[in-house]
Amino acid sequence: MTTAIQNCERCESPLETGDLRCSICGQASPADRPHAETLTIQILRCKGCGAATAYDIEHQAPSCTFCDSVVEVETVDDPMEQSEGYLPFTTGQDEARKAMRHWLSSLGWFRPSDLTTSARLEQLKPLWWVGWVFDAESEVSWAADSNAGSRRSAWAPHSGQVNMTFDDILVSASRGLSQSEVSAIGPGCDLGSIRDQPEGAQNATIEQFDLQRSQARQQIIAAIQNIAAARVEQNEIPGTSFRKTSVSVVLRKLITRRISLPAWVLAYRYKGRLYRMVISGQDASYVTGTAPYSIAKIIFVALCAVVAFLAFFAVVAAR
Amino acid sequence: MTDAASEEVADQVEISCQACGSTLLLDSNLRTTVCPYCASPSVIERPPSANRPAPSFVVGFVVDHDRAAEAVRSWISSTSIFARSDFKQAAPELTRGVYLPAYLYGAVADSNYSARIGENYTETETYTTTDSKGNTVTRTRTVTKTEYRSLSGDHSTYIVDVVVTASAGVTNEALEAIEPFDLRALRRYEPSFISGWLAEDPSRSKDDCFQLSHDESVAKVEQMLHDFMPGDSHSGLQFETRLSQEVIDLVLLPVWSFAVRYAEDRPPVQILVNGQTGRVGGKVPISAIKVTIAVLIGVAIVGGFALAIASSH
Repeated sequence: MTTAIQNCERCESPLETGDLRCSICGQASPADRPHAETLTIQILRCKGCGAATAYDIEHQAPSCTFCDSVVEVETVDDPMEQSEGYLPFTTGQDEARKAMRHWLSSLGWFRPSDLTTSARLEQLKPLWWVGWVFDAESEVSWAADSNAGSRRSAWAPHSGQVNMTFDDILVSASRGLSQSEVSAIGPGCDLGSIRDQPEGAQNATIEQFDLQRSQARQQIIAAIQNIAAARVEQNEIPGTSFRKTSVSVVLRKLITRRISLPAWVLAYRYKGRLYRMVISGQDASYVTGTAPYSIAKIIFVALCAVVAFLAFFAVVAAR
Repeated sequence: MTDAASEEVADQVEISCQACGSTLLLDSNLRTTVCPYCASPSVIERPPSANRPAPSFVVGFVVDHDRAAEAVRSWISSTSIFARSDFKQAAPELTRGVYLPAYLYGAVADSNYSARIGENYTETETYTTTDSKGNTVTRTRTVTKTEYRSLSGDHSTYIVDVVVTASAGVTNEALEAIEPFDLRALRRYEPSFISGWLAEDPSRSKDDCFQLSHDESVAKVEQMLHDFMPGDSHSGLQFETRLSQEVIDLVLLPVWSFAVRYAEDRPPVQILVNGQTGRVGGKVPISAIKVTIAVLIGVAIVGGFALAIASSH
């Protein structure tokens, strides 16, 4: 498990074991080796056989030419990401089933009338999917075109700077769930209830992070930029339509937690076809999924519209 | 201070080999030596000073001598056709593989900027023209026009991974020619890492290096601001950048240095190879004769063309 050892002196983001430099601002992490106080000349000897060692290209490290042993050096450590904790399942299978029926019946008139009664549950599996939750402070500089203040062109340029804090922002690292599924069920999770072990469901699929730390940081920073741009468009830029929004984010105190979040993944069959649903494992009212449309009803409405249209024309033409 | 420093650089220090006891003379800007009698590699560590801080990081050699020499040969043969022929035929001589001192610089850059932002719009305009039958007709067309709006604002960003030379023997342009180095392969400096290799101490003053870093940072900010500007186009970008919260760390970079001696009467050309990626950089001597011939041919073609037009009239 990766752990924070200390905070960066400059931007106060936690440094983790194996970081030679801060991933946010580039400040070097403190070294534990003291520097020489006087002129010293040394021959570095192999701990195994005592022969002099030299850096060897083949090993990418200092090594002994006689006994071929390699000297351990501190390198940038880039481990695979590992989950630090699990949010427990607080909804059971029965609630998930109930939520499915409820959701299917709430989809509206365009769905087949017998959808709720004929849909057959094929599979109901608990899944711990993975994501990052981060907090950060930032100064965001932005520039964009918007319709506010425009003259002959539809666009006018605007710019500004704003302080932004990010609190418990969830970024998906999941391969099993799509981005839209995650944004639908993510808000149903209570991030305060992190446990060390998976709790609340048997035989669950436990997803692993399949990213290295450096890639993970890139994804998180890309997500932060997207969120900052969205917030700027919502709160900062005057006007109602925007384009070419660019943001430059100076991050401080970026604290990231890697967690596993619970979800029920359902598959149901309706008239021979499989459909998929995802329900939050902590609040069954957060549901997303796919469901069939009733072709007959849609054709019926389309025909009605055509008839109404023709009737309207007939009336207009008759006058 | 500067005098004392330069004197010290020119000086040699006397050390005794820790393996066989023989006395070695060593240029004081070097951190390593190999005893000529017993072949023991020694690493010299001096107390750090303002202009000679202790290295923080090192990037190890990946490209070996043979691959570097091969890269230089193919680079020389692929240089421009205006390169001197004797240069293209010259054999590169390896001086040494050396750990070059460089500074890794970072800062927070706060800038004020102003620019003219071009926003496009379309207008329908009428115009008269003659159609195929020779009649004058009036037609309409849509044209794209640009209105310019001024925009000013503030921009803040981290500047990271600026690398500048700290060696007087290698200019920053020469180092830039073989950049980038993959800084993900950065190692914490350990004396054992440079053992058996040539490693230089910084020979430029820290002030010089700060200046180089500032220039590179401002160039980076300018590029960022160009990408930052909204609108369909922009012009007249002006900005002022203040750098704060600076960090600077000494890093040793792996470089193969080659000298190409192509003529008796000319100084040899320095060609550097990035010891991590194999990228080659150097200044190609241009043949004055080849350029002159090319210019003459160009002039002859233009002249002949002009003559042909003149005679046809």
